Amino acid sequence: MTMREYMLGNVAIARGLLEGSVQVIAGYPGTPSSEIIDTLASREDQDYHIEWSVNEKVAMEVAVGAAWAGVRSVVTMKHVGLNVAADPFMTLAYAGTKGGLIAIVADDPSCHSSQNEQDTRRYARFALVPCFDPSTPQEAKDMIPYAFEFSEKFEIPVIFRPTTRISHGKSDIELGEVPSDKPVPHFEKLLDRWVMLPKNARPRHTHLLSIQQPIEDALAESPWNSLELKPDARLGVIGAGIASVYAKEALQELGLEASFLKIGTYPVPKKLILELLSTVDTVIIFEELEPVVEEQVRMIAQESGLEVSIIGKTGGFVPREGELDINAFLEALKKAFDLEVEPETGGVSLELAPRPPALCAGCSHRATFYSMKKVFGKDAIYPSDIGCYTLGIQSGTVETTLCMGSSISIASGLYHAGEKRPICCSIGDSTFFHTGMNSLLNAVFNKANITVTILDNRITAMTGHQPNPGVGFTVTGEPTVEVSLAELCRAMGAEFVTVVDPYRLEETQEAFKAAKDFEGTAVVIAKQPCVISGKRAGIRRVPYIVDPEKCEGCKQCVKFGCPAIEFDEDNKCAVITAICSGCGVCAQICKFEAIKEVKR
Amino acid sequence: MKGEGTRVERTKPDGKKYDILIAGVGGQGVVLASRMLALTAIKTGFHVSTAETIGMSQREGSVSSHVRIGDEISGSLIPAGKADLLIGLEPAETVRNLPFLKKNGKVIVNSHTIPPASKPPGSPEYDPEALLSFLEAHFPGMICLDFTRLAEEVGTYRAANVAMLGAAAGMDILPFSRETIMAVLETEIPEKHRAVNRAVFEGAIEKIKLISAPLNGEQKVKSNV
Repeated sequence: MTMREYMLGNVAIARGLLEGSVQVIAGYPGTPSSEIIDTLASREDQDYHIEWSVNEKVAMEVAVGAAWAGVRSVVTMKHVGLNVAADPFMTLAYAGTKGGLIAIVADDPSCHSSQNEQDTRRYARFALVPCFDPSTPQEAKDMIPYAFEFSEKFEIPVIFRPTTRISHGKSDIELGEVPSDKPVPHFEKLLDRWVMLPKNARPRHTHLLSIQQPIEDALAESPWNSLELKPDARLGVIGAGIASVYAKEALQELGLEASFLKIGTYPVPKKLILELLSTVDTVIIFEELEPVVEEQVRMIAQESGLEVSIIGKTGGFVPREGELDINAFLEALKKAFDLEVEPETGGVSLELAPRPPALCAGCSHRATFYSMKKVFGKDAIYPSDIGCYTLGIQSGTVETTLCMGSSISIASGLYHAGEKRPICCSIGDSTFFHTGMNSLLNAVFNKANITVTILDNRITAMTGHQPNPGVGFTVTGEPTVEVSLAELCRAMGAEFVTVVDPYRLEETQEAFKAAKDFEGTAVVIAKQPCVISGKRAGIRRVPYIVDPEKCEGCKQCVKFGCPAIEFDEDNKCAVITAICSGCGVCAQICKFEAIKEVKR
Repeated sequence: MKGEGTRVERTKPDGKKYDILIAGVGGQGVVLASRMLALTAIKTGFHVSTAETIGMSQREGSVSSHVRIGDEISGSLIPAGKADLLIGLEPAETVRNLPFLKKNGKVIVNSHTIPPASKPPGSPEYDPEALLSFLEAHFPGMICLDFTRLAEEVGTYRAANVAMLGAAAGMDILPFSRETIMAVLETEIPEKHRAVNRAVFEGAIEKIKLISAPLNGEQKVKSNV
C-alpha cells in the first residue's frame, strides 16, 4: 500500500524539484513547460527563489549564477526557448557548475502549440551535456533528484527533456521525501572556471571531452536504462523516452517475443546497445523526432562488425516528424515485415467543419486588429509575433510569424528591402519585453519607417497568465516596479509613441492614422487587460444585447468575429449570447444603434 | 494546480483495462469530467494515465481528454480503435473522435450543438442534423440526449459534463461503482456548486433508467429529451 496522488506531469516535475532540494528556479513561460513554475510559485512555504525571467537567456544566466554559488538551480522553458538561451548554455558546458543545474526543456512533437518541433536531444549532443528523457510522469518526478546529483558529481549542467505527453499528461504518482537541509550559498572565485577567456576555455573544452566516457558509463548503470533479453528472441526493440511505453504496449498487444532496451539517458548506453545487438538479427528503434539513438546504434553496429538489420527512420519505417503512438509502431512492423496488422476501429468517419481556437469574446486584440485593418487597409503588410494574437490570422492582420520578437525586425527588413506598401506590425507586451525591445531599438536606430503596435493586455496570456515586467507584480504576487512601455519606447529613441484604449474604436483609429502618416518608427500601444485575467481581477462590465426592432440584419457585427455574436437566420437578426463580456465594441460598429447595454 | 491531488490507498485490482475518451469544446468542462473519472479509478485501485488538450486550443477550440484506466501504467494516448467508451459533449466533436472508438465501443453523446466560432474559407459547413443522423445510423445502441438541457432543467447548463458522467454511471459500463463517483464529486466540487451537481448526476441516472427499460427492449433514444 502506497500513497498516490493524481497529478499533471509538470506538477510531478515540480514535486521532483522539491524532493531534489532546488533553491533557485527561473524560466520563461512556454507550452508545454509553464505549469512547473506556476505550481512552485503557488506553494505556501517557499524556501527557494522563484521568478519568471524576461526571456530564456536571462533565466539561464540567473540559474548559472545560483549554481556557481553552489546551490541547486533549475531553468524551465519550451524547446525553442533553448535557441534563445543557447549562447550561455553552450559555453556553460565548458565552465561547468558547482551546485546542480538542470535545464528543463520541454519538447512539443506535432507542434501542438509551437512554431517548430525541434528535438532537444540534438542540443545535448551539440553541447556535450547529459540529457534525461522521461517515459512517464512518475519517472519524470523520480529523475529530477537523480539529475541534480549527477550534475553535481560531474560538475556539468544537464538537460531534462519532457515532451507534451509527459508535461501535459496526468497520472497517479507515488511521492518521495522532501529533504529539509540545503547548502549555504558561497561563490568561490575560481577564475579559470568562471572567466571563459581563450586561455581558460581551451583546457575546459579538453576537460569536457575527457568526461564524456565516464558520464556515459555512469548513465548506463542508472535506473533509467534497462535491458530485458529474451533467450530465444531474434527481434530486438529499442524504445527511447515516451516512445518506449508505446512500443512496449504494442508488443504486448501483439504477443510478440522481443528483447527490449529502454533508453532514458544520453549519451546513449553503448554497452547495453552492443549487448542487445549481439543477440538479435533485427532491431527496431522507436524514438520521437530525430534519429538520435538510431545514428548511435548504426555506428555501434558498424564499429563492432555485427550483421544486424536496423529498422528506424532511415528507410522511412518510423516517421521523423509528429508524435508517435502505438499505431506508428504497428505501421513500422507492417512496413518492415510485410505484416498484415490493422488497428481495429469503430471505422466510420464524416467530413467535419474544423473548430480552430479563436480569440475570446471581448478580447481587446480583436478590437485592435479591427481598427488596424480599417486604417491600414488590405494592401498593407502585417508582420506579427507569438501569443494569443497570432489568432489574428483570422482578421487578416497576421501575415508573418517566425519566432519571439521577430515582428518588428521583419517589418524593418521589409521596409529596407524597398517595399512601398505601408507596414504595420503587432507584438504582445510579454513578447516585447522578451526580445521585441532589441528589435525596436534597432528599427529606430536604423530609421525603419514602420508602425509598431504593442498589444498590451497586461499579462502573458497564452501560456496561462504569467506576470511580466509591465504588470507590477512578480510570480508570487509580490508588488514590484511597473515598467512603462511608453517610457521604455521613448527611452529607446522612438519619437512617436501613443497609448490608446482599443475598446474605443474612434480614438484607436485616429492614433493609427497619425502613426501611418509619421515618417519613421511609430509606436501605438493598445492597452486593455486580457478579458480572462481582468475578470479574475474583478473587472465587471455590463453585457450588451441586440434590439431586434432596430437590427437590420446587415451582419457587420457578426463579421467582427466575436464568439458572443451569433446570427438568427429565422428572424434575420443578430443575437448576443451569455458569453458577452461587455467590451462594447460591437455597439460602436453597429450603424443602426441596435446594440445596447443590458438594462439592470 | 497546487500539486495537492487526492490521497488514496492503492490496492491491487484484478487485471482490468478500460479506455475512455471525452470530447467537447473549450469551456464545456472536458478536463473536469476527465479528472472525476481518473480520481474515481484511482480510488477504486487502478492506475490512470490521461492526456489532455491544454493551452491555446482551449479557447473555443476542440478539446479532448484520453483517460486510460488499468492495472498497469500505460502511455496516456488511447490508440486508434481502442476506446471502450466515447463521451461526446457536442455532436461534431463526438464524430471527430470516432476513429478512437473500438468496434462495439459505447457512445454517449450530448445532442446540444455548438457551432464553430469561425469558419475558415473552403471548410465544410457545420450541419448538426447530418451529424446526429450519421451517429444514429452507425451507433444504434448509443445514448443521445440533450444533456445541456437536462442539466439546465435541474440547475445549470454548465453541469452537462456531470450529467454525462451520470449517464455513464447509470448505464453500468464503467469499471467502478456510481457510489464511488458520487463520493469523488462530493469531495472535488466546491461546496456552493455541490448540491446542484449532485442533483444533475442523480437526475441523469434516473433518465437512463427510464430509457433503458423500454417496451421493445431496444436502447435507441431520440435526440430530444
